[in-house]
Amino acid sequence: MNAIAAEWIKLRTLRSTWWAVGIGVLTSLALTVLGAATVISRWAPDRTGDHAAMGVVVAVYVGVILAQLPLGMLGTMAISGEHTSGMIDMTFVATPSRARVLTAKAAVLSGVAVVGSLLIAVPGYLYGRFVAAEFQPSFLPAGAWTVIAGGTLMIVVTTLLGLALGMVLRNGAVATAALVGIVLMLPFVANMFSWGDVVNRFLPTYPALQLIEQVPDIMPTWTAFTVLAGWAVIPLLIGVFTGRRSAGRP
Amino acid sequence: MRDGTGVADREGVIEVIGLTRRFKQTCAVDDLSFTVSPGMITGFLGANGAGKTTTMRLILGLDRPTAGRATVHGVPYRELRRPLTQVGALLDATAVQGGRLAKQHLGWLARSNGISRGRIPGLLELVGLGDVGHKRVGGFSLGMKQRLGLAAALLGDPEVLLLDEPVNGLDPEGIRWMRGLLKSLAAEGRTVLVSSHLMHEMAVTADHLIVIGRGRLLADAKITDLVRPDASLEDVFMEIIEGSAR
Repeated sequence: MNAIAAEWIKLRTLRSTWWAVGIGVLTSLALTVLGAATVISRWAPDRTGDHAAMGVVVAVYVGVILAQLPLGMLGTMAISGEHTSGMIDMTFVATPSRARVLTAKAAVLSGVAVVGSLLIAVPGYLYGRFVAAEFQPSFLPAGAWTVIAGGTLMIVVTTLLGLALGMVLRNGAVATAALVGIVLMLPFVANMFSWGDVVNRFLPTYPALQLIEQVPDIMPTWTAFTVLAGWAVIPLLIGVFTGRRSAGRP
Repeated sequence: MRDGTGVADREGVIEVIGLTRRFKQTCAVDDLSFTVSPGMITGFLGANGAGKTTTMRLILGLDRPTAGRATVHGVPYRELRRPLTQVGALLDATAVQGGRLAKQHLGWLARSNGISRGRIPGLLELVGLGDVGHKRVGGFSLGMKQRLGLAAALLGDPEVLLLDEPVNGLDPEGIRWMRGLLKSLAAEGRTVLVSSHLMHEMAVTADHLIVIGRGRLLADAKITDLVRPDASLEDVFMEIIEGSAR
């Protein structure tokens, strides 16, 4: 717990953290508000309450797609900033276990990502219900939980992927470029080819977008969750492994 | 106290045994063995690039030795529990993130080892940064960063101190202050290892000297044994270095 508390102090005492979270939340909320207003105004009048509530939830998590990049960069900075300044040495002098440091960073960043997604989702949801009031939306239909879980996992995964890339690549600019490449460029490029669906199944973006109902289903829901969870865990394990090799135990 | 013959004895708090660190082409630390005893200041002397910093990084578990080992109280650094309460280290004082306030920098370090943050104001006062604890570290001069680094090293009230070139960037008054502080820490029975390439400074600070060159041990003796009436420490140091080159 000491390591987690220390990482939380480190994260909250840098202004860049609040810039990243603020930009992510505000741009996402803006997109949600715009999206909800335009989409809901076009709904057919015979929409049921469940249907309307589902529509609101889906509109809310469109915003989270935008927030994942600033938070992914926050993940990258959380470690690359220490490599650039050299402060990583003090971190390891204070907490010699590389795995413990990385786990603590991952725990703190996950918490920030979840809170960030809630800061987008809760006001967005309330606003959406307000706009869709005439359809009398129900509270949260069963299908909404997949969207909520998928959208939350998406932002957590991108944040942790940023951390892992920062750990392995050490240079903030390179790690950020790699993050954008994996999350945005590769799925976009893959889409232009006939085999794109095959590749996209293994990248983090398509499964996430499928879970939040933004793209057609090409895999079962549980597969999408598994692939996403894999992108949260496996790059971090690679980070711990390479960290051990470069400056690790004999 | 030890007799200054450089033979490892039971009093060695820091023990370095056959320590070797080879990088691709060069051997930064070459079969180095020495011990550091409590209650005195041990100067760790060598020219630039002699391997002082690499040795200190190996002792702190920041780098992996090619061969040999280094222990503190008989244990590899990485196996120490709450290490800051046992070993205080000052490496590169400029290796801090400038966006944090001085007290925040010490805050995360204290929290990482479960050390009370109540110690921070007093420590900032001790190192002469009492007025700037709420200022961003990025605006600090090198001397102020060295003082902050020393506060970080003292945070856990450790028995062992490893300080890499702590007087770099300090003004004459600061150097004098640092010397007095290190002497009082040693007088309390702590183990103090201070690296430097400044011979005059070491001559008036250290009780015992470990001299290395090209990663190898050149001398390990009491300072009174090294300095003769007819030769300054600088002369002796140059003799040792030249002797090793032959």
